[in-house]
Amino acid sequence: MADLLQLLVAGLATGGIYALVAIGFTLLWQTSQTINFAQGEFVMLPAFFVLIGMGYFGLSFWPAVALGGALSVVLLGLVFKKLMVEPMIRHGVLPLVIATIGLAILMKEAVRQFYGADAWPFPVLAATTDVTVFGAVFAVQSLVILAICVAVVVALQLFLGGTRTGRCMQATAQNPTVARLLGIRVERMILYTFLINGALVTVASILITPIYLAKFTNGEWLGLYAFIAAIIGGFNQVRGAIAGGLLLGVVDNFAAVYLSSQYRTAIPLLILIVVVLFRPQGLLGRIEERTV
Amino acid sequence: MAAPDILRFEDVVAGYGKQTILHGLSFNVLRGAITTIIGPNGAGKSTAFKASFGMLPVRAGRIFFDDREITNRAPRELIAEGICYVPQGRNIFSELSVLHNLELGGAAAPEGFHLKPRLQAVMERFPVLRRKAKHQASTLSGGEQKMLEIARGLMLEPRLMLIDEPSIGLSPILVEELFDLLRELRERGITVLMIEQNAKRALENSDHGIVLELGRARIQDHAATILADPRVGQLFLGGTSSISGRA
Repeated sequence: MADLLQLLVAGLATGGIYALVAIGFTLLWQTSQTINFAQGEFVMLPAFFVLIGMGYFGLSFWPAVALGGALSVVLLGLVFKKLMVEPMIRHGVLPLVIATIGLAILMKEAVRQFYGADAWPFPVLAATTDVTVFGAVFAVQSLVILAICVAVVVALQLFLGGTRTGRCMQATAQNPTVARLLGIRVERMILYTFLINGALVTVASILITPIYLAKFTNGEWLGLYAFIAAIIGGFNQVRGAIAGGLLLGVVDNFAAVYLSSQYRTAIPLLILIVVVLFRPQGLLGRIEERTV
Repeated sequence: MAAPDILRFEDVVAGYGKQTILHGLSFNVLRGAITTIIGPNGAGKSTAFKASFGMLPVRAGRIFFDDREITNRAPRELIAEGICYVPQGRNIFSELSVLHNLELGGAAAPEGFHLKPRLQAVMERFPVLRRKAKHQASTLSGGEQKMLEIARGLMLEPRLMLIDEPSIGLSPILVEELFDLLRELRERGITVLMIEQNAKRALENSDHGIVLELGRARIQDHAATILADPRVGQLFLGGTSSISGRA
């Protein structure tokens, strides 16, 4: 029983990270029909910015995080939107998708060229000790990660639902044409989602890299997991991305222990196939009606 | 002394891609009246609305609102000028609450505009929206959703309302209610410019009519005169009462 609880918390912690990445994914889709296949590389990169800040500029951890975070939000939010999304989306969703696949390869190879193919250790946010609560042993790290993920998601929901700017963003996502007719600054709202995505992937990067080390290939499976989480949860719903991410994290952790660590990576794909077959709109998604 | 016409099209040319829909459209909309634009499909009725509201580029010609040129200006600026546009179909934000939908009607509010009292005033007029203020907008009935759209358009106290096919999908009783509401808006000094498929019914509730054909205004007259015009009757009103009889 204690083992189960422990596994569950560990699963929710990694699942929370997947959820953050998946939320960014769905936000971009909702407001601008951007499907970002470089999302995994977006998570891989900020950790390297932090490492560069610490290694090349001699900063300590938190200043490096602040600097790397700011750089990530600008590059992965603003610059990504201006230089890739805006020119490509005019030609349709598919050309943009292909462009983001190209971007993923570029980012991956650039990091390898610049930083090498090794896996670099990354500072942990909390001590790697355990605490015992009601007889169950929890890794402090898992609890900290889970707490940060919950805080980020709650803050995001409060912003989207509780502020006028947030509701203007929701309106833009639900119906951009009508949003424009009401005088909502649609372009600005879309930019905000790109900046939020930049911030989400940065947080995810800082949380996940201590566990899996900083490696140029990290984006490959991270992007895949976020994509799967978004799809199984419901591609057009933030809460779907949360549910999908958490589910994936928990299942992944349990599969590693109770099934086999070899088949572990197949489980998310199996879930994906089952969901797509039997509930294509995702667990919490709604069927989209798009007028052309 | 303000000019008698609040909206004026002068030789407006507009269209989609290579296709031109409006071939030099000119008409005036008189202040403080209800005017209905009728015409067959493809005549350019909705295109004229989109062109006047900055949703479609005007290639030639000019559009004036209150004698100020508004050609190709953005919706946000036009709202500030005092125009609102209620498009065809369902245009609510279904996953936001009724209250938040209304509030978004004030998204283009100028600095210092007090939304709260305005929200109260609008909900005063639409008690059903007040009652369901906290409900998700998707739970409203079709008629209530249309009322919500109109109420949302009234948030910034427009002087001109462009309303496209408001009666589509509404029951006969609701259509009656809708026309009552438009007349009430007129009494409050809001000019209404409407497009209606149900041409006879709409003209009966209007002061003026404009008949569009192939992107040009063929006839501009009193609604009653247009209703009595045999040419119009044959072309667009079905000649008999068959159209008006359709729900």
